[in-house]
Amino acid sequence: MANLNELTLTQALVGLKNKDFSAAELVADCFKRITVVEPQISAFVTLNQKQALKDAQSADLSLPLGGIPIAVKDNFLTAGLCTTASSQVLAGYLPQYTATVIKRLEAAGAIIIGKTNLDAWAHGSSTETSDFGPTKNPWNIHHLPGGSSGGSAAAVVAGECIVSVGSETAGSIRQPSAWSGATGFKPTYGRCSRYGVIAMASSTDSPGPIAKNIEDAALILSLMSGRDPHDATSIDEDSWKIPSKITNLKGLKLGLPTAYFPANIQPEVKAAVLKAAETLKELGAEIIELDVLDPKYAIAVYTILQRSEVSSNLARYTGLRYGADRSFFGKEAKRRIMLGTYALSSGYYDAYYLKAQKVRTMIVNDFDKQFQKVDAIIGPTSPTTALPVGASEGQAMFGELEDMLMEPSSLAGLPGSSVPCGFADGLPIGLQITAPQKREDLVYQISEIFQANTDFHLQKPKL
Amino acid sequence: MKITPIIGLETHVELKTKSKMFCGCDASHFHAEPNTHTCPVCLGLPGALPVPNRTACEWDIKLGLALHCSVNQSSFFERKNYFYPDLPKGYQITQYQKPFTVNGYLDVDGERIRINRAHMEEDTGKSQHVTLDLQEMTLIDYNRSGVPLVEIVTEPDIHSSAIAKKYLLKLQQLIRYLGISDADIEKGSMRCEPTVNLQIDTDDGRTVYTPLAEIKNVASLTGAESAIEYEIQRQLAEWQKNYVEKSATNKTTRGWDAEKSVTFLQREKEGSADYRYFPEPDIPPMEFSAVEIEAIRITIPELPEEKMAKYKSLGLSDYDANLIADDIFIAGIFEHILNNSSDKDYAKFIANMLFGPLRTVQLDPKKINRDSFKKIFENRRNLNSNSIKQLLLDSYQSGQDPLTLAEEKNLLQVSDTSQIEKFAKQVIEANPKAVADYQKNPNSIGFLVGQLMKVSGGAANPQLAREVLEKLLK
Repeated sequence: MANLNELTLTQALVGLKNKDFSAAELVADCFKRITVVEPQISAFVTLNQKQALKDAQSADLSLPLGGIPIAVKDNFLTAGLCTTASSQVLAGYLPQYTATVIKRLEAAGAIIIGKTNLDAWAHGSSTETSDFGPTKNPWNIHHLPGGSSGGSAAAVVAGECIVSVGSETAGSIRQPSAWSGATGFKPTYGRCSRYGVIAMASSTDSPGPIAKNIEDAALILSLMSGRDPHDATSIDEDSWKIPSKITNLKGLKLGLPTAYFPANIQPEVKAAVLKAAETLKELGAEIIELDVLDPKYAIAVYTILQRSEVSSNLARYTGLRYGADRSFFGKEAKRRIMLGTYALSSGYYDAYYLKAQKVRTMIVNDFDKQFQKVDAIIGPTSPTTALPVGASEGQAMFGELEDMLMEPSSLAGLPGSSVPCGFADGLPIGLQITAPQKREDLVYQISEIFQANTDFHLQKPKL
Repeated sequence: MKITPIIGLETHVELKTKSKMFCGCDASHFHAEPNTHTCPVCLGLPGALPVPNRTACEWDIKLGLALHCSVNQSSFFERKNYFYPDLPKGYQITQYQKPFTVNGYLDVDGERIRINRAHMEEDTGKSQHVTLDLQEMTLIDYNRSGVPLVEIVTEPDIHSSAIAKKYLLKLQQLIRYLGISDADIEKGSMRCEPTVNLQIDTDDGRTVYTPLAEIKNVASLTGAESAIEYEIQRQLAEWQKNYVEKSATNKTTRGWDAEKSVTFLQREKEGSADYRYFPEPDIPPMEFSAVEIEAIRITIPELPEEKMAKYKSLGLSDYDANLIADDIFIAGIFEHILNNSSDKDYAKFIANMLFGPLRTVQLDPKKINRDSFKKIFENRRNLNSNSIKQLLLDSYQSGQDPLTLAEEKNLLQVSDTSQIEKFAKQVIEANPKAVADYQKNPNSIGFLVGQLMKVSGGAANPQLAREVLEKLLK
């Protein structure tokens, strides 16, 4: 069989079970593909070829992910496998322990084929602020893949792995999924343990899968999730269980916030999302226009809180223990550290941090209010399709503007997905589906029925 | 001119919980091989997250309650951001806006010292400045990193170095009573930082204050007292020289040099330090219900002052009562033997034994048998004081019944009056001269008592023998 790397997770698992091919062949095909496309898209920071091929030889196919090659964002610690967060500060860093969620996937039989690129420290939405060079969009290598989990999204879409793991603080799973044409599933804050994930903004960081479709993503999520005694903020529940599929959306109310279609939205994006809403309506859903809190407030809140937490989270990289000193921080990290330090300084705390926390509560309350009217909220993941390489340069607020439609739900800790819903000039468009806290079941069911009735997620880039 | 020292104390106490504050590592670190009690969390490795030790939080609340503090049912941890090589995360997890316990007091010598707070935080690692291969370097031991630490902050209510020392002693005693820490200043499990300045009422009717000085590196109780005393004199001399008054920016940090017995300047402009506190996003707010707080309160044992009063009511001298109450270990043994008896003679007997014969042995609570004490006490009239000591020690060491031992060693005295009368008659008959002497000089009865003891083979109770002889010769 040729091109095993193109398989979905579900297909790969069936193939392995039926002995149509071996885990070693599957992993080998991924590396064959990597050799071909990596020079163009640079999705990986570190490859784990030798170990992955070895692991494939002894793969236990009775495990839920036995023999499945996965790519992991390089801000998840992997014991003995170089982890850098795409920053020179951690170049060559070999972790002593493995992040809880990765440990769980490994225990389920997954094979890590490499660590994927991100904006350094996950600060960004382009993956071009990586200290090790930008990742390119598989649909058009002159465009950005989005970020910060750009490497994970690009690797899946380019067929370099079967599924990947990303992390989202405010859009970092869903936005690159939208721009690269992948399916991203960001769970409720606390659903997946943050232990062993290099902290960005602790109060919103959420690990989650990026896959070729929602079914694959859901399986990965179910295996990553669940309480972790090492993470005091993890939800005290067993792992998330995939609910049954639904055959129509009758009785379901979906909210379409008018504020998610700002004046400067790309017309094709607007058209594709409205068409997706139409599809969902045809499947039985009632579409209700929503008057939500302007997302611009979320940008301000997120910027203050995220910078504040970043300034503290990056304080440990002093050069005393990780080799490289603080001069190795890139421009973006320095900017964020300074802004956060300022916002937390005595005399400014009340005006910035405290006020931001209050507005965050207002955002949470606004969602509570909206979810009394609707079951889930849909909208464009990003106001544009993937921007050209270089677009983020000199734009300090690039990420915030690109992520503005996901920042409110991230601040509220809500689960959501981004699924492909169209193309413009050969670049994918993403539809986001957001549900109340702990309602991943709704996100899954709506995403699944949408994909069952559309074929955008089946399109493959020509590389 | 009137000088009033104004002293506030910040005291850090390491809790002796099994594990550290935010990870499962062994919290004991004294004399442990460096960096053996560590993990990703207390090393501050990338991605590591703190999970609070609930027992440590409860112990902090226990101490707060014993200090008459009110408990914040809802409180949270915060990050105190600052750089120091032994602070691996670049911030310390502590409490700032909402500590577990606030607004209490501790009475010392009739003076009320208000407690601002007793909050929970984590200890730092330890820097060791050494010379290795002729190179001066600093090594860091992270065994102490993340050990649970309670910080007790007083209001500036202390006005002399002597009261400061007494406060520390009393706080130390209280902490030991609660069983939450060894509170050993020499070993560093209790550390105090006095902040000192002077209120000076000048002869021309003005009231001025000298600049605040926080004193670090105090490593003993005597050191605390001496450092404060030194600082009082230094500030007074300084004031008389250049009349600098306290301002918002002239607080200094001074170190205590115990060898030279002086404080020395470490840092100036302490007022400008900015720790950029913000709520720790890795730890959800902590809640303690009224029921949970009460459950903690009932674990507080009877405290020294209550014990003192109780012991005095049992007829013990102030000195003995204090000596027993001072140490919860001794107090525990005393009360175990007493077994709720209100017999004052028994209480005194036990105290005498504890500070008499038993002072020479290492007391092991498991070897203490209160029945032995009771039996010896009940037969004390039939035993001489040496025999009592001997029996007590022998029965303690061997675990044997003291009365069996007494019989074996023939230590029991005859206290049967009729038997002693028989001996007395025998002695009076045999010693007419001594009897005649006694009639002239009653002080000479000693000889006759001695003869009686001889006749009885040493078994007679000497006190009783004397009484019987006196009665017969009347």
